[in-house]
Amino acid sequence: MRLEIGNFPVEDIVFGEETSYNDGLLTINKEEALEVVKEDEHITEADLVIARPGEEKRIVPVKEAIEPRYRLNGDATFPGVTGKVESVGEGRTVALKGCSVLAVGKHWGSFGDGLIDMSGEGAKYTYFSKLVNVCLVADTDEEFEREEQQKKNHAIRWAAHRLAEYLGETVKDLELKEEEVLELEPITKRSQDVNDLPSVVYVMQPQSQMEELGYNDLVYGWDANRMLPTLMHPNEVLDGAIISGSFMPCSSKWSTYDFQNCPTIKRLYAEHGKTINFLGVIMSNLNVAMDQKERAAMFVQQIAKSLGADAAILAEEGYGNPDADFIACFAALEDAGVKTVGMTNECTGRDGQSQPLVTLDERADAIVSCGNVSTLIKLPPMETVIGELEALARDGLSGGWADDEKLGPSVKEDGSIIMENNSMFCGDQVLGWSPKTMKEF
Amino acid sequence: MKKAIIYINQFFAGIGGEEEADHQPEIREGLVGPAMLLNQLSDAEVTDTIICGDNFMGSNEEEAVEKILGFLEDKEFDIFFAGPAFQAGRYGNACGVIGKAVKEAFDVPVISSMNEENPGVDMFKKDIYIFPGGKSAAKMKDDMAKMAELGNKILNGEGPLTAEEEGFFTRGIRHQVWLEDSKPAADRAIEMLLKKVNGEEFKSELPIPKIDRVPIAEPIKDLSEATIALATSGGIVPVDNPDKIQSASATRWGRYSVEGLDNLPNREAGEFKTIHAGYDPAAADANPDRVVPLDALRAYEEEGRIGKVHEYFYTTVGTGTTEAEAARMGQEMVEYMKDEGVDAVILTST
Amino acid sequence: MANLIPVAETVGANRMVPTISIPYPLGDPESSEDEQWKLRYHRVGVALEALETAIDEQTVFEV
Repeated sequence: MRLEIGNFPVEDIVFGEETSYNDGLLTINKEEALEVVKEDEHITEADLVIARPGEEKRIVPVKEAIEPRYRLNGDATFPGVTGKVESVGEGRTVALKGCSVLAVGKHWGSFGDGLIDMSGEGAKYTYFSKLVNVCLVADTDEEFEREEQQKKNHAIRWAAHRLAEYLGETVKDLELKEEEVLELEPITKRSQDVNDLPSVVYVMQPQSQMEELGYNDLVYGWDANRMLPTLMHPNEVLDGAIISGSFMPCSSKWSTYDFQNCPTIKRLYAEHGKTINFLGVIMSNLNVAMDQKERAAMFVQQIAKSLGADAAILAEEGYGNPDADFIACFAALEDAGVKTVGMTNECTGRDGQSQPLVTLDERADAIVSCGNVSTLIKLPPMETVIGELEALARDGLSGGWADDEKLGPSVKEDGSIIMENNSMFCGDQVLGWSPKTMKEF
Repeated sequence: MKKAIIYINQFFAGIGGEEEADHQPEIREGLVGPAMLLNQLSDAEVTDTIICGDNFMGSNEEEAVEKILGFLEDKEFDIFFAGPAFQAGRYGNACGVIGKAVKEAFDVPVISSMNEENPGVDMFKKDIYIFPGGKSAAKMKDDMAKMAELGNKILNGEGPLTAEEEGFFTRGIRHQVWLEDSKPAADRAIEMLLKKVNGEEFKSELPIPKIDRVPIAEPIKDLSEATIALATSGGIVPVDNPDKIQSASATRWGRYSVEGLDNLPNREAGEFKTIHAGYDPAAADANPDRVVPLDALRAYEEEGRIGKVHEYFYTTVGTGTTEAEAARMGQEMVEYMKDEGVDAVILTST
Repeated sequence: MANLIPVAETVGANRMVPTISIPYPLGDPESSEDEQWKLRYHRVGVALEALETAIDEQTVFEV
């Protein structure tokens, strides 16, 4: 499978007459873009706001991030989400690099939403402070979940995907300057040199723990709760086959942007043919019953064995009971002789003294750790808030609270905040960016 | 100048060996024995030396701690040292006991040193900083130098003080740090994988800690006489959540009466629901007995299989809730249960 | 009583009885009320037996 991604670097984004791209400057016709957003009548209010690195801006509640992309054959950029289910990962896609579309609640937040500071101390907690962000700030008429802590956020997330596709389309006819070629030969058709290298699978456990549809990560538009682990080509993951969900505490979350740019896949590609033979991705999931967790681990083990994998990298999107899926899968792979490295974050508490994962097993002897979800973070006010700051305290975000005996509310009168890392938008970057680790103190 | 106080035993104070091990706790202004060395090495002034016989501490721990905390009450000090204790087991224990008590009472950093064979290490490494030390007093200078150096860093506000860099025994206190070279997790994973595959030594960023064991409770002799309580981490509460238990990372818990109830009426009936944000609440809201099986336990009460169902069920939320908070809440619940004659608990988790 | 027995083991629980899932430990909403009741009654019964049983190590009681 061969995927060519034409990269168009975006250095700045402005509003103007015509949606266009010129030498690093993306211009957006706001009215036209908002028409795309409002194709869904459930969007009742919408605006676009630009947030650039270094600006005194705080964005909350952020529900999703997407890299603007367009598939040159005209198929849906996000199959099963923005259009029909067609396979992706092969052919040509264009991408606007260095920017993202953020889905932001105009008022209402939910458990899995997060916060981004574009400058200051808070900026280091999230990858998205480094990007030029088009914030889609919207409200909807989804009254059934208005007061719920868990929200599907369907209208606004889907609108953001449409917007990302609309922006990506801007560069469809432009001459390519930089192209990234991602190609892996079929597993049985590789040269002896490659076959002699240690073969590696990447096992992904995306979030899929809500039994009701509409909250989980989607694979080709299909709810990951309803699937068994399967083999996927890494290009599919990079090319929009997976979109993020609306459930997990935010620092643990993998946004669609993260899937599209998954650093661990990119790094495995870079090593392919040199130090390893990259077999592909085993797409697993996360479950809510022990037998489901064990079944998924068994399938992952079987696929790895059938492929003859020598080694695996295993990553979980979450913490708490998903640690049981993670450890079960780790143990199953090791039992099958597949040398495994796990990637996860930890929950050691504000004082750092709690058990790092809820399940432990001595077979999990190689782990890359990406952060502590419960670290307490205090940040000064920001000049501008995009969205609604009060949502952090009021709406049950995983890292915010309305009141606390010792700490008071998360949002203070002067606009300063105190929160847990839990609500930093996709902050722990377990898909591979994380510059953080955990140390003993 | 910052001030320090040090704890040593009767032997190092020059009072005597085994024959003086029952020596009563005392505090002396100024420097006694190893305190002199510490005073040379430390950026702080060592103002006092506390001395106690190892056996006195061993057999009269409570009294010794009380006396020593009493000595310290009107002292000003910024940091506390104990030892080094080398391989001496009773001395190691004493340093740990006093160190822990001083840290709790005065909230100052406490630093000690013991040989890895000293049982005091495992008993107290979570409570105070303990450096791996030599087997005997021949290593006094080296060991004290490590203690003093960490003390200086703490007093001067230097950091981060990780176990890896400073060398003290790991304490099970884990915090996130930004790597100096910002090496992304993907690169670290590939490097670790290649080492693991090639049979080279690698270092996990999350060494699996030893699993805590809990003493096993004796079985109930006669259930038909026993009072059984229900407890849950599934977040079942009265619909108005009167104790404002958090729906994630809980630090609060509640207990609610089940007197006169054959089962737990649901959210629709305006009675009980779950506030737990970590799982789909639909099933629990529709029938809270799926999480807190009051109906089943009542049936066994009716049959005489158990004596009675305790008047309250106990509840909190177990998502993102740290082990430490959970343990504290559990202990608080148990106090009520013991006071009210509960013999056993059925704890359901979600 | 827990579905995630490995978690219960890791935190040091000594007498464990498996339940059927995280969101509904003792009654699958997809099954009939009667089946749910039977399941709940049975498993709570196993928990009571567990309380009467002397053990010398962490034990998962069969359901």
